[in-house]
Amino acid sequence: MDTFVQLVLNGLMLGGLFAIISVGLTLIFGIIRLVNFAHGELLMVGMYLTWIGTTQLGVHPYVLAPAVVLVLFVVGLLIQRFILQPLLEARDAHVQIFATVGLSTALINLALLVFGADLYATPSSGVRDSIAIGPYRILVGQLVMFVCGIAVVAALHLFMERSYLGRAIRATAQHRAAAQLMGVDVKRIYMVTFGIGAACVGLAAVLVAPIYPASPTVGTYFVLTAFVVVVLGGMGSLHGAFIGALIIGLVDSLSGFYIAPDLKEVVIFGLFIGILLLRPTGLFGLGRGSE
Amino acid sequence: MSDVTIPATARAAPRRIDAGVIAVIALLALILLVPLLVGDDFVFHVFITICLYGALATAWNIVGGFAGQLSLGHAIFYGIGAYTAALLVPLGISPWIGMVAGAAVSALVGVGIGLPCFRLRGPFFALATIAFLQVIRLLALHFTGFTGGAVGLMVPLQTGWQWMIFFERWPSLLIAFGLLGLTLAVAAYIRHSRFGYYLVATREREPAAAAAGVNTLRVRLAAVAVSAALTSTVGTFHGMYLTFIEPEAMFSLAFSVQIAMFALIGGIGTVLGPLFGTLLVVPLTELARGWLGASALGLHGFVYGSVLVLIVLFLPDGLAGLFRRRTATDTSDVEASAPAATVPAEAKPARPPLGEPILVAEHLNHRFGGLAVTTDVSLSLRRGEVLGIIGPNGAGKTTLFNQLSGFLAPQSGVVRVRLAEGGLVTPTTPHGFAHAGVGRTFQIVQPFAAMTVLENIMIGAFHRHPGRAEAREKALETAARMGLWPQREVEARSLTIGGLKRLEIARVMAMEPRILLLDEVMAGLNQTDVRRAIRLIEQIRDEGVSVVAIEHVMQAIMALSDRVIVLNSGRVIAEGQPQEVVRDPTVIEAYLGKDFAHAHPA
Repeated sequence: MDTFVQLVLNGLMLGGLFAIISVGLTLIFGIIRLVNFAHGELLMVGMYLTWIGTTQLGVHPYVLAPAVVLVLFVVGLLIQRFILQPLLEARDAHVQIFATVGLSTALINLALLVFGADLYATPSSGVRDSIAIGPYRILVGQLVMFVCGIAVVAALHLFMERSYLGRAIRATAQHRAAAQLMGVDVKRIYMVTFGIGAACVGLAAVLVAPIYPASPTVGTYFVLTAFVVVVLGGMGSLHGAFIGALIIGLVDSLSGFYIAPDLKEVVIFGLFIGILLLRPTGLFGLGRGSE
Repeated sequence: MSDVTIPATARAAPRRIDAGVIAVIALLALILLVPLLVGDDFVFHVFITICLYGALATAWNIVGGFAGQLSLGHAIFYGIGAYTAALLVPLGISPWIGMVAGAAVSALVGVGIGLPCFRLRGPFFALATIAFLQVIRLLALHFTGFTGGAVGLMVPLQTGWQWMIFFERWPSLLIAFGLLGLTLAVAAYIRHSRFGYYLVATREREPAAAAAGVNTLRVRLAAVAVSAALTSTVGTFHGMYLTFIEPEAMFSLAFSVQIAMFALIGGIGTVLGPLFGTLLVVPLTELARGWLGASALGLHGFVYGSVLVLIVLFLPDGLAGLFRRRTATDTSDVEASAPAATVPAEAKPARPPLGEPILVAEHLNHRFGGLAVTTDVSLSLRRGEVLGIIGPNGAGKTTLFNQLSGFLAPQSGVVRVRLAEGGLVTPTTPHGFAHAGVGRTFQIVQPFAAMTVLENIMIGAFHRHPGRAEAREKALETAARMGLWPQREVEARSLTIGGLKRLEIARVMAMEPRILLLDEVMAGLNQTDVRRAIRLIEQIRDEGVSVVAIEHVMQAIMALSDRVIVLNSGRVIAEGQPQEVVRDPTVIEAYLGKDFAHAHPA
């Protein structure tokens, strides 16, 4: 029983990590209707930035959060403006996929060129210490991620519901042409949305870096799970992504222990294929999975 | 129809193609001869790599380009090819047999993956293929007894043609070149056959393809089977060439993406595009790697990714787009060869008498949630008859058509079609209805936008003329008849709405249907075009085709219909001679409201 509770705790904590990586992905899909295959590489960029910041400046990784978030926001803005925006009216819907796939490959290999294939561990600065809750233990960093995951989802939700910009973003998502007629600058909305999505993954990078070392392919590793999370929760649904992340975290933790550590991903991807085929709208989706 | 004359210039295949064929042969000869003449190990390596990637990208393009299904999991088949052969070699079985066995397994796996996944679109299909790739890679790592797991497999070093492993480089080049030639030949054959046209049509507009008699799932599955088998053969050879295989390298996502990228850079959907893409980036990166050595780790991927982004931004049709644009302008001057005679003036055959019922619907019912869109609708169409269907917007006319053509299965009730041989059948799919002789148009026109007008019509013509030449002949004849002759080489997307409506009819007429369902083909046409369309439908009718026409243009309904059925709120509210029906108070009420009906008693 103790093992099981500990596994569930681990799963939930892992879910917090997946949640914070997935939120930006689902936001970009929900609003821009774009599956960002380069999402993981934005995480990778953020993790390298955190590593550079901590080793060069000697500060606690969390201190870098505002700076990394800002940089990623700008990077996201630029990607949308200069790579994706020109493709908005493309006659073949596939070209946006090609663009993000190309960007992903270019970024992975740029990292390989600059940093090589070595792992770069950001100093953990106490983030990897564990705290005891009764007989169970969790890492400080995991708890922070879990709390931040909830906070980001809640903050984004409030922003979308309450602020003027949030309403404009939702209006654009529901009907691009109509929003445009109502005076919404759609291109700006898309830039801001992609920027926010990238900023979320920037925050994720700062929190993940002290726990997992940075490498060129670290993004691929996390983003594949993030896709599963987002599809499970329903592409575009923020709270769906959060709940999806917790489910996948639990599946990961439990199947790793009860089935086999090296088969837990088989379970996760099997689940993914099942959802895609049987319920492409996910748990809380917008009903667009099969389109 | 035989009285339509086609200018001879249109029949003969354009001479230019010959020059293109020579250029391609010269290019392939260079790929083979340069390394043989130079004889340097590095040059051999570069050209073998070109052949391998060229073949892989060409094979990928059959699914990713022709069928438009963006697979990012093609390494599955590459890995299966390599593993099948490598596992058979220790049993004393030649990799040539392993190659065939691997291809067969890959084709089966491809169909197994495609069957459930082809309903997914765009990014979701791509994600599903990635997921399958991950599952297979992880399983290959897990079952170490079978695959050797992460340690990998060494292929026993037996040399000679029988074992596909050589001391010299040139036999490997020869095999790689042969595989490139094979995939190119298969791709070229597919692209220029009915199968290829069907694939592109399915990619462009699945419903319209289905209405033209294409079994859309089956052509896609056939495409994935061929593509997987070809990819697998390359995998077998590459495994033997490397003499060492491991799951991380064989079932790699990055590798899958790379294959797709070469095709995308070169121009998907074209036969030679993937080879062009390979020829552009492989030498570039291999040379850079040669110069920079180990410090160039990641350079090739960086170049591939960046080139892809640039191509997508500035050359959306890929490198092949450069060539196509030029040839497209070239043909425009041939346009001058005047249009053939359109509709013959005085060749009217006597209208045959009406025959037995040929299309029968009995007690059709359909509800969308709480909304009854079809309630107990029965109708029968007699051979040679023109049946008009009218009714206000939202009456359920198009829904009825969808049930009469297999696009929507009625929740209860049955639709029967009389075959040419006389028996009644109940098809269940759109292509099933097409094979039973039912052709339909769509109210919202559904052109295959990226195809030319002629190719659009050919999709219909293939239904009864499987050969490309005969289908082309039939399509030319139909184009002339429908007044689309001047636009025949134009891409369908650039037609006006009137032109698109005519194309819609031309495509269905090229199918030579016995029963024709026309969904508001006159909406939005001007007076001249309406009169022209009426004459056309009369002519079609006089050739013995039975017609059901949904129409709002009363002039057309009155002129053409032998009988009219009026639908309102999913029910048949009136049926009879056109003149009677339009005087029926319930009909007037349905169209114009109660007040009007009372003010003008019939």
